[in-house]
Amino acid sequence: MHVSDGVLSPQILAAGWAVTVAGSAIGLKKLNPDRVVPVAVFSSTFFLASLVHITIGPSSTHLTLAALTGLALGWSAFPALLVALFLQSIFFQFGGLAALGPNCMNVAVPAVLIGLCFRRAKGEYSPLRYSVRAFIAGALGVLLTSLMVSVELGLSDYGLVKTAKILFLTHLPVAVIEGIITAVVVDFLRRVAPDLLMGVEKV
Amino acid sequence: MFFSVFMAAMTGSAFAHGVGYSLSELPALSLEFTYSDGAPMAYAEAKVYSPTDEKIAFQSGRTDEKGRFAFTPDSDGDWKVVVADDEGHKVQVPVPYTLSGGEDSALSPTVPLSSRPAGKFVGSVAGVSVLFNIAAATLLYRRKRA
Repeated sequence: MHVSDGVLSPQILAAGWAVTVAGSAIGLKKLNPDRVVPVAVFSSTFFLASLVHITIGPSSTHLTLAALTGLALGWSAFPALLVALFLQSIFFQFGGLAALGPNCMNVAVPAVLIGLCFRRAKGEYSPLRYSVRAFIAGALGVLLTSLMVSVELGLSDYGLVKTAKILFLTHLPVAVIEGIITAVVVDFLRRVAPDLLMGVEKV
Repeated sequence: MFFSVFMAAMTGSAFAHGVGYSLSELPALSLEFTYSDGAPMAYAEAKVYSPTDEKIAFQSGRTDEKGRFAFTPDSDGDWKVVVADDEGHKVQVPVPYTLSGGEDSALSPTVPLSSRPAGKFVGSVAGVSVLFNIAAATLLYRRKRA
């Protein structure tokens, strides 16, 4: 779901950059610099996840794992995703540099929202419920992102309904796959490296 | 009466209902469009803009199943091919074209007619390395200040 340069209207580009700059500023401000390693870990995970391609029909799509980033990093997902997307654009030509702002917004806003909604109740649930919540978070992340991309393309004269339908349908299976991966990873981290899920904010 | 019908038939396609065809002498130019993972941009919307008109497409259609799209430039100059799918992927290819110089110069070799991303492995290693270097630099900076 990396949008190329020259696709989005100038207004959407501007809005995307505004949200991304503001979100990244908040993320950096909240970030505890001593906890920068988990940020690098999840930023790298997101950076590499985009290489895992899933081909559904004529559409070519890939994993994002944005929800996982949001669950682990909260607001700091913004700068983490921004840097990862920048590197994807440089090294893999995923998405345009001018469209980096909106592209970051499209994954970081769902990531932060999911972080806010699903991070709170740490340890209060049984392992099963914990995994189910992670699954919902992972799936929701993909669907929210595809919804945002659809709306932006629609507002940029791309035929909203058609695009939304295609994006949503092709990303439904991806949502399920990401939900499962998120659940497995969160469960694994909870048992093996709970430190990574402790958050990276200043206390 | 007979004469006017005859004249109408002779003035060409505007009046005639019959259609014909012949093999075009002009060389066609075929481009192949792929996603960064190598998958073809199948059935993506393709538009060709001639050197003389940047607004109205000279030709518009779709790539084929394998992501290929061919068109027939009929004049020298800077042509442009724009291919976009429904999901926000878009690529624009400038095609400087010289028809007069014979078959070999139909496409000048300097045309950036292939833009494929660098190797994935190298990119992956480089990207992850950059990320952890940022983290390491941050931690180092913190240590020094403390």
